[in-house]
Amino acid sequence: MAVDMSMPILVVDDYQTMVRIIRNLLKQLGFENVDEAADGQAALAKMKAAKFGLVISDWNMEPMTGFELLKEVRADETLKTTPFIMVTAESKTENVVAAKKAGVNNYIVKPFNAQTLKAKMAAVLGDF
Amino acid sequence: MPAADVAIQIKSALHELQKTNLKDPSLGEVLDLAQRLTDAMQAFFGSLDRSVYSELRYIAQYIQRTRDEISELRPNDIREARIPSAGAELEAIVKHTEDATNTIMACAEKILSCDPNKPEEYTEAVQAHTMLIFEACSFQDITGQRVRKVVDTLKHIESRVGRFAQVMGVNDAPPPETPEEKRKRDLLLNGPALGGPETAQDDIDALFASGGGPASQDDIDALFN
Repeated sequence: MAVDMSMPILVVDDYQTMVRIIRNLLKQLGFENVDEAADGQAALAKMKAAKFGLVISDWNMEPMTGFELLKEVRADETLKTTPFIMVTAESKTENVVAAKKAGVNNYIVKPFNAQTLKAKMAAVLGDF
Repeated sequence: MPAADVAIQIKSALHELQKTNLKDPSLGEVLDLAQRLTDAMQAFFGSLDRSVYSELRYIAQYIQRTRDEISELRPNDIREARIPSAGAELEAIVKHTEDATNTIMACAEKILSCDPNKPEEYTEAVQAHTMLIFEACSFQDITGQRVRKVVDTLKHIESRVGRFAQVMGVNDAPPPETPEEKRKRDLLLNGPALGGPETAQDDIDALFASGGGPASQDDIDALFN
C-alpha cells in the first residue's frame, strides 16, 4: 500500500533546533503535514486529540521522556498501533533493547542524516 | 587542677601526718601504704596528663592544618567567581551555537525556497545566503575560546580539590543517590556517549531487521557481541 504523503506526523523534541531540522528533512522527503510537541506529555495530549500517521520522538525530555511516551502510547487501546520512531542520542545497548521491548518500530541514533531517516521511515511505513 | 598537682598535695598532707609522731603501728602502716599509693597515682596521672596534652596538641595542629588547606582551596573564590563565570561561559556557548544554527538553517531554507527558474535572482540569493552561512560559522572560533576558559576553571578546581583530598587523606564515601539521579537511572537517561554512539546504527538496524515484536535473546546477544 502506498504511503499517504499527506499524513500528519508528530515530531517530539524539546530542542527547537532539532524539531526544525527534522521538519526540513521531512519536507525534503515530501511530508509537509508536520506537528510538534516539546515533551511526552504535550505529545500524548496531541495524540489523544488527533490521529497521527507517525511519531518521531526524542528520548531525553522533561517532564515526560520519549521512552515514557512510547510506553503510554503502546498501553493505550486507541493509540497503540501508531508507528513510533525514536530519534535520540541515547545509544547505550540497554536503551535500544528497552525501546525495542517497549514496542518502538525503529531507532535512529543522533547525529543522523536524511538517508537514514528516509530508510527507517520506509522500513516502518513502506517505500515512498 | 591537674592530676599531678592533686597527687603532690595528698603527698604533702601525708608527710604532715607522719611528723606528728604517731604511736599506733597500724596507723603508721596505713600511712606508709597511702604514701606508696600516692606515689603510684602521681606517676599514673602524670602520664595521663602528658598523653591528653599530646592528643589535644595533635588535634589543634590538625584543625589548624585543615583551616590552612581550606584557605588554600579558596572555596569562596571558586563558589563566587570561578563557577558562576564558567556557567556564564557555557550559557554563552549554548546561545551562540543556537543563534548560529538558526542563522544557517534560515539561510538554507531561503535557498531551498528560491525559484531556480529565475537564474539571476536565484544566483544572487544563493550568494548572499552563502556569505551569511560563512559569517555564522565564525561562532566556532569564539565558542572554542569559551570552552578553553571553562576547561581551565575545571582544571583549577580539580587541582585544588585533589591536593586538599590528598593532604587530608580523604577517601571517597559512597554518595547517596539524589532523586534526579534515580530518575535518570530508572528512565535510562544516559545522554550522548563520548566518541560517537555506543551502539552503532548498523547494529541497531540488525536488531530491527528481524521484524516487529519483542527483541529475541539472539538479537540482544548480537548487540552485546
